[in-house]
Amino acid sequence: MRVLIVEDERKLAEVLASALRAEHYDVVVAATGEDGFYRANAEIFDLVVLDLMLPGRSGLEILQTLRQRRIETPVLILTARDGLDDRVLGLDLGADDYLVKPFALPELLARIRALLRRGRPSEVFRLKFADLELDLVARRVVRGERLIDLTAREFELLEYLVRHQGHLVSREMLARDVWKEPRRATPLDNVIDVQMARLRRKIDPEGVPRLIQTVRGVGFVVREGEP
Amino acid sequence: MRRWWTTASIRVRLTAWYAAVLTLLLLLYATATFFAVRHEFHEQLEQPATGSEDPSHATAEERVEEQLDEVLLVLILGLPVTVVAAGFGGYLLARRALAPIDQLAADARRITADRLHERLTVSNAHDEIGRLAAVINETFARLEASFDQLRRFTADASHELRTPLSVIRGIGEFGLGATRTPREYKDAIGSMLEEVDRLTRLVDTLLRLARGDAGTVRLTREVIDLADLAREVAAALGVLAEDRRQRIHVDAPERVPVLADRLVLREAITNVVDNAIKYGPAASVIHIRVARDLRQAVFTVTDEGPGIAAEHRGRIFDRFYRIDEARSREMGGTGLGLAIAKSAVEANAGNISLESTGAGSTFRITLPRA
Repeated sequence: MRVLIVEDERKLAEVLASALRAEHYDVVVAATGEDGFYRANAEIFDLVVLDLMLPGRSGLEILQTLRQRRIETPVLILTARDGLDDRVLGLDLGADDYLVKPFALPELLARIRALLRRGRPSEVFRLKFADLELDLVARRVVRGERLIDLTAREFELLEYLVRHQGHLVSREMLARDVWKEPRRATPLDNVIDVQMARLRRKIDPEGVPRLIQTVRGVGFVVREGEP
Repeated sequence: MRRWWTTASIRVRLTAWYAAVLTLLLLLYATATFFAVRHEFHEQLEQPATGSEDPSHATAEERVEEQLDEVLLVLILGLPVTVVAAGFGGYLLARRALAPIDQLAADARRITADRLHERLTVSNAHDEIGRLAAVINETFARLEASFDQLRRFTADASHELRTPLSVIRGIGEFGLGATRTPREYKDAIGSMLEEVDRLTRLVDTLLRLARGDAGTVRLTREVIDLADLAREVAAALGVLAEDRRQRIHVDAPERVPVLADRLVLREAITNVVDNAIKYGPAASVIHIRVARDLRQAVFTVTDEGPGIAAEHRGRIFDRFYRIDEARSREMGGTGLGLAIAKSAVEANAGNISLESTGAGSTFRITLPRA
């Protein structure tokens, strides 16, 4: 998968490129609007990560021209201004998703995966991870032989984590996608932590390998390994 | 002409008006006097002569005409002189009367942003100038209060922003100070990220408040059921209450439709309920009530805590105002929760207030009914 990153902030571009390479993407970095525009036009990418505030040619201009030329590569825009205008304008001009700086890397990676997955059927009725199994229709959870009784919120939380299995999930992602709270100023972190602790007690009781891991300062991840 | 008129000072304009009116009145007066005198003279002349036949009748008539001419001359010459003299007097008077205003302007100009504590001197509080000075002084007082608030806010905000920054810096410097184990590095980085999270939230919250102040919060208003929203927030925050062995009791028997932005309003309600859970005692009950009267929808949340002392009540919605600094930090509070609630409620044309008696505090949110 080839990804073009158009970002003039050198450090940020480097971090993004390293993170994407670690996930085995083939990454090209353009540091100016001109360069980004040229490459997006001349080469073929599976995805473009586009900063909106660029010297030279702005991200919105690049996006607009790309779409006018019928280049339909998915574009994820990055913006430091979370004013509604930029966002709406970007999406209107044909961006597929947006993230407001400062964003969390796990979230960017999740969005990129989602954009690249697009178009493929994703209807599943069952999710599995290790000996954990979720029946999304009956909303039942089984670990090994044991049927686990979860509340609706706990089930949604577990489903979200298992859907992102192996990948980090930030509290902000959980707040927005599970609690449907897009506003960062709303105090939900404590709620998420308490809810997560409860879910854990049910899923990972003493004596079995722990599936839900906490990564300090970042969030949570469902993976096997470290107890 | 018009330009002169609009740019001249009040003093000059007053004098001009005065002179014009005076000229008109004097003209009328002079004309009337002249004709009255002439009439009187002619009447005397036409009276039949008593005693001897007056041979000099014709001459007398001529004398009268001569005297009348003199009177006319005096009147015509005297009029402009009087007008000029009176105009000059009027000018002096106007200048004297208006001098305090010039003084006021000079004084007011002296009071700049750095000297807002100064006030205009009011010599006589009951005359027009005194009243004007009093009004200007009130304006200065309000200006001073908001400047003070801004200064305090800026100081608080930079303090709040510096704290996580210095933590990040400290951890980074300590981590690189010597070779550490991978586990220690992980801990250090994790701890730095936690502080970054805190900074991010703080900056987001400040932005939100700034937007509220500027009145640029974009609202998507729709008719929503306040009772429903209250139950939703109570359910979402329920786990926090359970953690403290508290119970949330929602008393919302009927639908209470309001016209509001759902997300913005939910932010307000989440913040006040979160506040009640944090500061209500463990194992107590938090009462949420949603009701309506004729004009308003009313949401209240009451805790069973010790209440809020009178000295704190006025400032409880202020940014970064914390009653118990240490406790608030321990709870992970930013000191902005209630400020956000206030801003969010006001954006929805509502009102938020605190009622606190000895037993418990009640936050009350009122909104116009849909």
